[in-house]
Amino acid sequence: MPGHKRVAVMSPQTRLAHSRRRLRGRWRVPKLDPVGAERAAELYRRQRTLAVAPLVVLFVGILGLPLVFALFPGLDELRVLGVPVSWLALALLPYPALTALAAWHLRRAEDAEDLE
Amino acid sequence: MIIAFAVAPVVLVTLLIGLRGVAAMRSTSDFLVASRQVSPLLNSAAVAGEYLSAASFLGVAGLVVKDGIGSLWYPVGFTAGYIAMLVLVAAPMRRSGALTVPDFAEARLASPALRRTTAVVILVIGGLYLVPQFRTAGLVLSVVSETPYWVGVVIAGTGVAITLALGGMRAATYVQAFQFVLKLVLFIVPAIWLLVQVGPAVRHEAVHPVEFTEFHRDTRVVFRVGTALEFTEPTPVRVGRETQVRTGHWEVPAGTAVVFPEGAAVPDVSGEARPGGDEWERPLLDLADAGHPLLSTWALVVALALGTMGLPHVIMRFHTSPDGRAARRTAAITVGLLSVFYLFPGIYGVLGRVLVPQLYLSGATDTAVVALPAQVDTGWPGATFTALLTGGAFAAFLATSLGLVLVVSGAISHDLLPGGLGRLRVTVLAVSAVVVLLALSAIRLDAGVLVTWGFTVAASTFCPLLVLGIWWSRLTVAGAMSGVLVGLFASSGAIVCTLLGVPVSGWPAILVAQPAPWSVPLAFATMIVVSLRGRPPSWSRTAMLRLHLNEDRVETPAARLRALRG
Repeated sequence: MPGHKRVAVMSPQTRLAHSRRRLRGRWRVPKLDPVGAERAAELYRRQRTLAVAPLVVLFVGILGLPLVFALFPGLDELRVLGVPVSWLALALLPYPALTALAAWHLRRAEDAEDLE
Repeated sequence: MIIAFAVAPVVLVTLLIGLRGVAAMRSTSDFLVASRQVSPLLNSAAVAGEYLSAASFLGVAGLVVKDGIGSLWYPVGFTAGYIAMLVLVAAPMRRSGALTVPDFAEARLASPALRRTTAVVILVIGGLYLVPQFRTAGLVLSVVSETPYWVGVVIAGTGVAITLALGGMRAATYVQAFQFVLKLVLFIVPAIWLLVQVGPAVRHEAVHPVEFTEFHRDTRVVFRVGTALEFTEPTPVRVGRETQVRTGHWEVPAGTAVVFPEGAAVPDVSGEARPGGDEWERPLLDLADAGHPLLSTWALVVALALGTMGLPHVIMRFHTSPDGRAARRTAAITVGLLSVFYLFPGIYGVLGRVLVPQLYLSGATDTAVVALPAQVDTGWPGATFTALLTGGAFAAFLATSLGLVLVVSGAISHDLLPGGLGRLRVTVLAVSAVVVLLALSAIRLDAGVLVTWGFTVAASTFCPLLVLGIWWSRLTVAGAMSGVLVGLFASSGAIVCTLLGVPVSGWPAILVAQPAPWSVPLAFATMIVVSLRGRPPSWSRTAMLRLHLNEDRVETPAARLRALRG
């Protein structure tokens, strides 16, 4: 290999330590060429628009479910297979919902990057 | 013995994977290819491995035993945080090339002062997160091996220091991914075994809670710290060999083992509701027993959902993703992996309420998970599962602590007191020692509560900094600085008030015990108002837009290393 030079292989933490020492005081003004800047602005706007819906769904979900529990204490008495419905709604329901929300947003965010 | 069988293998395998992982990658190009080929799945297993701490493995079930079903909101918040991370932070943070929040602050706003301030915040978050890890590891070791609490804490601290010194974190991604799988197996298998083994009567009791008012058999409780008990009726208790009749108030001295006889009434612990009461079975969490469960639950989930993105050891992990797109995928898959794990703490919690409710008397509910197998089976299967769960708990403690001790030491030795790598090693030892000392005095504080305070500080400081830094080009250094400081003082001030026991009641008590609902908006508002009064530098918009450009070729670790070489 021409110009072969030995380089230490190290963990991210160690690498961070080394590079920080070298880069200290070498902060440069960030630059974008005009084409890149335009594309970045477009991507920024798209992702910002896309971010609204999942965040609204998330907070409506995690703030709404306690509200449902507070408004309908009867859910504690109602039982499915012997277990109170409200317990099931708290211990099981959020996880598939959160996983689905993550998958949905991931697809939309990636599609938005691909459409160019 | 349990220590030897359960804890030693976890530490050894962690070390082995660390050393083997490094040996397998000899040349730079191997390393670069590997770092580019770390798949989002492997990386998210590593994120989840680093994230699932003693608070998740033991703390949630312990809080369910103590405070009720509503404690299952903790894992919901822990998981929901990754949605916020996925939507707002993951990809742009990776594209900034920053490994930590201080790095990000310098990359985005070019301010060394802000870098140092954020490093101080890392110390606060790291402290709040590390102390319960050490405390719980110490508590578990002391429970399974019947040693004093301080021995357990010192063993845990020494374990962390030795593992770091021998290079147990070198192949960090592989170690953490292994830790995740280990924890998942060691949590799920015993849960299923317990459910099958306890029999239909206990299963029926588990879902039909009754208040814990009477001991159903002779019950031995070890009080590791002094505790005040209130007896409602004269009760003959056995302390050592002698039997004493207790009535009214009794200050149990630390280190006493007390046997309560079958059929005796359960004494009151000052300020605690008994497990299994009417409030216990409500799926809402009443913080500080203030009588406003809905507000409490909201405060908690907001803090957890917004705090996750600011946890220093988690942000570091995303750097292993080759680009922003992979970082986003990592966050999304992490939600799925955590969702599997968090289906199970509730099982330990409801079974613990039936089988080991007495733990709440001595404030040791965090040990409920490891105490359960012995209640179900006194033979070798019970002992085996106790050992497995202890091993899993230690893996949880080790994974999180190793990452956090490194991040905290990094913040000290690179951001606050710039020095070389030698300094970093010394700092690691110093940090471990300080955390051990803090943990020794924190035995009464539940892991879940302390960790949640860590999330609260992160939500009040780093959440606004990251969100506005990534999505708002007008953010200025002055704005960011004042917002971080306001958030830090507001949240930590409220925590100090709670620790000192400042008397507040009603809904203000909740806002002191869990300040996120006001401290997060306050930090955001401060940042925005102060920024609007100043003027951002001319390159500010470019600095922000750069984070959203999906062309990562220039910013891959490979390219950066090449740049360093050439």
